Amino acid sequence: MTRLFDLLLYAFTWLCGLILVGAFGTLVVFLLINGLLALDFELIFGSTAIGDALFLKRVVIDGLLPAIVGTCLLIIIALGTALPLGLGAGIYLAEYAGKISKSFFSLIFDLLAGVPSIVIGLFGFSLTLYLHKHFTSIMPCLLISGLALGLLVLPYLIRSTQTALEELPTTLRLTAAALGADQAATLRFVLLPQAVSGIFSGIILAIGRAAEDTAVIMLTGVVATAGIPRSLFSNYEALPFYIYYTASQFRNQQELQRGFGAALILLILCALLFTLAGLVRKKVSKRLMAK
Amino acid sequence: MSKFLLSHPVTFYEGINACFIIDLDMKKIIETENLSFYYGKRQILDHISVGFREHAISAITGPSGSGKSTFLMTINRLWEELNGAKMSGRVSIFLDHEKLDIYDRGVSLSWLRRKVGMVFQIPNPLPMSIYKNLVLPLQMAGFKKKEYLRSKVETVLKQAFLWSEVKDRLPDDARTLSGGQQQRLCIARAMILEPAILLLDEPTSSLDEKAAREIETLLFSLKKHCSLLMVSHDQAQVKRVADEVLELVDGRISELFTTPSSIRSTKSGIGHFRP
Repeated sequence: MTRLFDLLLYAFTWLCGLILVGAFGTLVVFLLINGLLALDFELIFGSTAIGDALFLKRVVIDGLLPAIVGTCLLIIIALGTALPLGLGAGIYLAEYAGKISKSFFSLIFDLLAGVPSIVIGLFGFSLTLYLHKHFTSIMPCLLISGLALGLLVLPYLIRSTQTALEELPTTLRLTAAALGADQAATLRFVLLPQAVSGIFSGIILAIGRAAEDTAVIMLTGVVATAGIPRSLFSNYEALPFYIYYTASQFRNQQELQRGFGAALILLILCALLFTLAGLVRKKVSKRLMAK
Repeated sequence: MSKFLLSHPVTFYEGINACFIIDLDMKKIIETENLSFYYGKRQILDHISVGFREHAISAITGPSGSGKSTFLMTINRLWEELNGAKMSGRVSIFLDHEKLDIYDRGVSLSWLRRKVGMVFQIPNPLPMSIYKNLVLPLQMAGFKKKEYLRSKVETVLKQAFLWSEVKDRLPDDARTLSGGQQQRLCIARAMILEPAILLLDEPTSSLDEKAAREIETLLFSLKKHCSLLMVSHDQAQVKRVADEVLELVDGRISELFTTPSSIRSTKSGIGHFRP
């Protein structure tokens, strides 16, 4: 009976894994079939010469380069603001918070994780209106979008940091303490190096979330055509918005195919960023483990 | 001239009765006065007043749950890292001819734990390279000079009889060493800060006999560098290595309270054990 149960459990879990891999595979194949045909230099650079586009000599109007750059900048701003805050809050919750403050902060961060992205977009929009009242030059822009996305990904970073630290065995803490390490030294020399993998999992999740979200940026500064943003206070283009816009407004099959091409580029961009994050994680781990 | 006292007769687990000579003039390194300890409402140690000799191997023995490891953790205040524990009484160590109450407000925990090193029951190398495991305590204490770190690593590895085995694999993960090597590495790591006292919580209980004997030999050689306080439930080991023995039963000092000379004489078969 137990053996049969074990067998069934094994088959069920195996099937679950297979279904997920299958679903992801189908999605990728679907994107490849529809997007590969549209994927060429023209899709990215439009009618602008590649050199002129890359050196910003001419604005790319009909290509995806500004949207790719805009998406990358959004990720950088979002992670640049959320990462220190997320790491700090995660470390506080795992290492310093007392029982009451831990429950309180955890509740707030869980609520934040549950806030729909459109609400965060609305908050960003309201913030823009408020700032516009006092500083008329401030309009919906890249910075506001990046900050709003930072708020969106913050809970992922907090939770991954907290969990990565809390899951470390108590023996590590005791060993460090027995060697004369105070809490800060234990954290710096022993715990954080061991928690790097878990923390980077959160960073990878955050990259994906910041790259794909459309609701937040729609309300805070993204436009269909803006070229490569000249400053943090400019309008900008972004891949998820282009995909949404094309999918909802396409006039012919060719335009829809460009949308699939953009989706494929977004997928490749995310894969590249994940790989980069993975390499950084490896390098950081190696450096911390090194002699 | 030293003064001696004959202790009460004592029964070992194996049914051997013995009494021991207590050297009244011995120089103490650790002293506890009315030390009591509680986990929640459960009392683990009950008014322990005892002293341990300098540059000796002092063994704490007794049945499981008698408070041996807890006693050890009161000497470097490691119990303060655990929740729900409290203690009363006084623990003093003697450093540079001065008696220091380690629970005094002015005593820094980091300083204390550098002076009172500890080795745990299960070898616990940190998940990093052999070299990094050894230099970490120094780095945490603020030492940065690479040459100094390297020379210290070599010195302690030689002290721990490990240098010849690992000198070519210092960048390897410390967890790839054998159990005995890992424990010697942990002892070397504790010794790198040149502690005055080394606490050892059943340091050979998870090792095979050969590795255990290697550790015992190492402990003998470390006596000239520091004072060792070792928890052990292995009576044979206690007889082999200890200079003095404290037996705890139910958190109290049992009748057994011994001295170096008696243990030595036992080993040589001359002595004070009465079958």
